[in-house]
Amino acid sequence: MRVNGYAPIEDYALIGDGRTAALVARDGAIDWLCLPNLDSPSTCAAILDADRGGSFELCPDAPFTSVRQYRRNTNVLETIFTTDGGSVRVTDALTIPNGELAPMRELARSVEGLSGRVPMRWRLTPRFHYGLGRVRQEWRCGVPVATCDSEAVAASSWNAGAPAWSGESVGARFDVDAGRHALIALSAAYAEPLVLPGSRDVRQRLEDTAAFWDRWTSERRYDGPWSDAVLRSALVLKLLIYAASGASVAAPTTSLPEAIGGPRNWDYRFCWIRDSNFLIDALLQLGCYDEARSLFWWFMQATALTLPQLHVLYKLDGGIGVTERPLSLAGYRASQPVRIGNGAFEQAQHDVYGCLLETAWLFSEGHQPLDSDTGAALARIADYVCRIWRLPDSGIWEVRNGPFHFTHSKVMCWVALDRAVRLARRGEVPDRHLDRWTSEAAAIREYVDRECWSPELGSYTRVAGSGDVDASLLMLPIVDYDDAAGHRIGGTIDAVGRSLRRGDFVYRYRADDGVPGGEGCFLNCSFWLVSALARAGRLDDATELMERLVARANDVGLFAEEVDPASGAFLGNFPQALVHLALIDAAFACHAARTQVSRQ
Amino acid sequence: MTSILPSTLVGGMFGTMLLTVVLRCASELGFTRMDLAFLLGTTVTANRRRAKAVGYIFHFILGMGFAFAYAACFVVFGRSTWWLGAALGGVHGVFVSAVLVNVLLPAVHPRMGTPETAANEIALIEPPGFLMLNYGRSTFLLNLAAHIAYGAIVGAIVRI
Repeated sequence: MRVNGYAPIEDYALIGDGRTAALVARDGAIDWLCLPNLDSPSTCAAILDADRGGSFELCPDAPFTSVRQYRRNTNVLETIFTTDGGSVRVTDALTIPNGELAPMRELARSVEGLSGRVPMRWRLTPRFHYGLGRVRQEWRCGVPVATCDSEAVAASSWNAGAPAWSGESVGARFDVDAGRHALIALSAAYAEPLVLPGSRDVRQRLEDTAAFWDRWTSERRYDGPWSDAVLRSALVLKLLIYAASGASVAAPTTSLPEAIGGPRNWDYRFCWIRDSNFLIDALLQLGCYDEARSLFWWFMQATALTLPQLHVLYKLDGGIGVTERPLSLAGYRASQPVRIGNGAFEQAQHDVYGCLLETAWLFSEGHQPLDSDTGAALARIADYVCRIWRLPDSGIWEVRNGPFHFTHSKVMCWVALDRAVRLARRGEVPDRHLDRWTSEAAAIREYVDRECWSPELGSYTRVAGSGDVDASLLMLPIVDYDDAAGHRIGGTIDAVGRSLRRGDFVYRYRADDGVPGGEGCFLNCSFWLVSALARAGRLDDATELMERLVARANDVGLFAEEVDPASGAFLGNFPQALVHLALIDAAFACHAARTQVSRQ
Repeated sequence: MTSILPSTLVGGMFGTMLLTVVLRCASELGFTRMDLAFLLGTTVTANRRRAKAVGYIFHFILGMGFAFAYAACFVVFGRSTWWLGAALGGVHGVFVSAVLVNVLLPAVHPRMGTPETAANEIALIEPPGFLMLNYGRSTFLLNLAAHIAYGAIVGAIVRI
């Protein structure tokens, strides 16, 4: 299963508590865990360096096979290990506080014997600060504790052997008979004393956590096709939202490579404005009003310091300093470099203005009107878009050899002004510059229709005057730029299919982007294709493609950023919010199209 | 003597504020995991948020109380100066680290483990250890420095 200590990316499942998240491999190892928050330095990072990254292993101490699933409607993971001598169920969750004094963060791993007798082993190797911190191995009240500067973790265990430190690892071996239970809890503290939990409290929190997720899922509303995939995507998105601020990370990982051994390895533990409109749309459609309101206000607060200019991405606390730098880790299957921070924050990407205005429009339409301060801020942004839309930018894909006049960026500038006009006409945005916004929006449309359309291709183009296409053009019908059923959108969908599609998957583009190395197909592009087809009235094509794509999820319903079209292996950061957002949008688009057809 | 009461209140207030800020900054900068508000607040509640709020109030009250103890010392010594206050703060800091938090707090804290406690069914807060070194190797020195600063402020402000 593992290659040189590295599990396939699709072998991982995600657990989380709204503050941090962990990746659990099919063989029971937790290879990625940042503490205390999603964007904190890692404590377990074996996924980026099998030798020095740190991990938390729990598995049979004998040859085994495993199957797993999330407990229904929850983010609680259940893995059943089967050996020659019997089977056990391991239940993993990052628990949610329930009122009792709980550790700052708690990862509970419960073992239940199902049949026979199974020898088990667990081993925790905490490596703070991406494996660079100096770790002290100690004991408190009989519990093994590892500390490093402000951070500390404790491994409490019950009926799980007698733990002992061995080098930088602590662990034990134990046997589990049918009907017997064992429990291990990793409790973490940052800048405060550790809380060492009791087993009864840990078990209670584990059950309360499952009940919380089940209750949260039951409040979601979606009665269309692929409901399991949509609800799983909603649960993933909830894990990627940092509860303390309402911001959402693009993915909980850094530097999982876009090609094995390649250099396209980026840190996604930030909040991209680009995801905002999809995120707000999905949250509102699923009935997550609290999360939508929290996210929208976070966006308006985070962007307040730089208005009317927007940054591409923000830290989860609203900060903007995310300087990119490499770490001295080996990288996933030797994919170097491992980066933290993200250099894209310095780029000019004009599509973000359209994303934010679209977000405001969707929020106003789907939940509640905007207040006057927000309206005034959005008016300033619209004015700014009037000034910059003629300039080139780095575009949605954050190319590093630009800037260029990307068609998608121009269209999103049009979206910004179009939504500003709509909101102004409803009185939610000051209308002093309404005429200017209207005329500039018309100018953008005239520019795009003239400079970004290729009669030879019968399609909009990637860049003004170019002869190639880009998967981002599939977003045009999603943002209502053109008649979705018209010949221009239809021609663009066909051209993207001809040039970029490989089987069910779609490449972003086929052009130099200033970064060496190859990449897989971006899965969000495949779901955008479904959405575009559904909106264009090609419902059968959309449905068939959607069926096949949904089946490409891993065994617990998760998607990475990319897929290798030849092998089907996942690539890139995992799981990725934009892919799951695109899946939800595609499902809703197909459902709406089907409903419309049935009415006719 | 008429000014001793208000000056002690003011000295205690500013001294406690400085001590709190120093320890909080040290914690955020990674020098220690000691969190006095958390330790004090969890004596009365298991709710984390409430514990920290209550803990800050407790800490403030204790800071004011110790200021009066300092003022009594100043009266006995017949003078009130910043260096005398700093010296008292040094003694106070050692006492807090070696006895008050290390020995007395675990003895009365309903949720804190002691070196004799084994993991059981009740959630336990990590005990501070000798000189509170369980919370970080720099904890004692930081705590001492913070208390010296507290004493210096109290000594400089109190008028006997």
